[in-house]
Amino acid sequence: MNVLHERSGKIKPIAGGTDAIIQLKDGLLQTRELLDISSLGGLRYILREGSTVRIGALSTYSEIIESSILKSSCPTLVDASKTIGVIQLQNRATIGGNLANASPAGDTIPPLYVLAATITVQNHGGTRSIPIEKFFLDYRTIDLRADELITEISFEAVEKPCDATFLKLGLREAHFISVANLAIWVRWAPDGKSFSDVRVAMGAVAPVVLRAKKCEEFLRNRILNQNAVWQAGQIASSESSPITDIRGSAEYRRAVIPSLLYKAVHRLTESRRMWDRP
Amino acid sequence: MRERKFWLRLNGEKVSVSSPPAHTLLEVLREKLDVTGPKEDCGKGECGACTVLMNGKPVLSCLVLISQADGAEIVTSEGFMKDGIPDFVQKAFADNGAVQCGHCIPGFIVSTEALLSRNPNPSLADIKTAIAGNLCRCTGYTSIIRAVEHAARKK
Repeated sequence: MNVLHERSGKIKPIAGGTDAIIQLKDGLLQTRELLDISSLGGLRYILREGSTVRIGALSTYSEIIESSILKSSCPTLVDASKTIGVIQLQNRATIGGNLANASPAGDTIPPLYVLAATITVQNHGGTRSIPIEKFFLDYRTIDLRADELITEISFEAVEKPCDATFLKLGLREAHFISVANLAIWVRWAPDGKSFSDVRVAMGAVAPVVLRAKKCEEFLRNRILNQNAVWQAGQIASSESSPITDIRGSAEYRRAVIPSLLYKAVHRLTESRRMWDRP
Repeated sequence: MRERKFWLRLNGEKVSVSSPPAHTLLEVLREKLDVTGPKEDCGKGECGACTVLMNGKPVLSCLVLISQADGAEIVTSEGFMKDGIPDFVQKAFADNGAVQCGHCIPGFIVSTEALLSRNPNPSLADIKTAIAGNLCRCTGYTSIIRAVEHAARKK
């Protein structure tokens, strides 16, 4: 923290390095000095305290994927982490690094949006906590000062009657960057026919990950059927502002959002059905 | 860039090497330590040709800085040979025609060794996941998967 403070603006922290080293090779880093934090064991933990899950920012995807706490408290984040890169990357890349890199296609970000996660950052003077939606300001711009480090990500465990899921569309089966992705968190109404609360977040379809608030409003307390869910998907699509790039056109991205939402709700409905089995 | 001295436990031997701290582990292995099993193809973490074990886990040595590997245990494809003799994984690759141009194979060997050390009886899906980060442009993977299955039976 002292080094970051004294050399503020001149030095950039590097964690697993799977994004930063590529930027270094491409000459895209803004600073000439790097501060390697990858061996700070104190920021590698996954804990559950009461209903709160706390993840140290330097936890790797492999640690998230293997965490029994997360498998039971938030399988969605485990599923999202499994889709990121391949084993060699998962062994190095960290969740804090994924947030700091702030790619609009970052795959841990939509799940953390719908979990309403809190990001804790620290500098030599103290810590502050930021709701994740306030943390991402604009395309690759985050609310993190040059002398601050992301230290922790925390959220409430997902337990009945709540559920969550994550879906990602890519161009091949392994090791791909999202063309579009979508996370959804819901609280089932007691009769299991509607969501009494719902949060939807979409990635790679806007400069920053986006909450589909109109879609959420439409779905809240509405009896779920095919028409309603397709309509909700169309609303979500109208809330996006995708670009055309090497991985897909804006039109394609808009067109796949309803399918992602439909599949996600279908998956939640299937798993809700399992709850009622004796 | 100023050089610094780093220590590695490389293929079972303690070695020290001087390098600028922001050079990659791969550069140091190949250019300073003459360990040329790991290759640089993409340099961006797409191809897996530079895969090595770092403290027992497969990583991409093109995306690790030497300063991040200081004091680490590193095993490359060379490290699995005993007295110059290929081990069961390397032999399975040769026996199953899994090697054509051979360029990507050291990376596949390391990924396979990592898989079999934690999962001696991998399913086809386990094998595909384990080698998903390694690209081969010659074989079409069928013979490589056969080699991994063969190696698993030999373990």
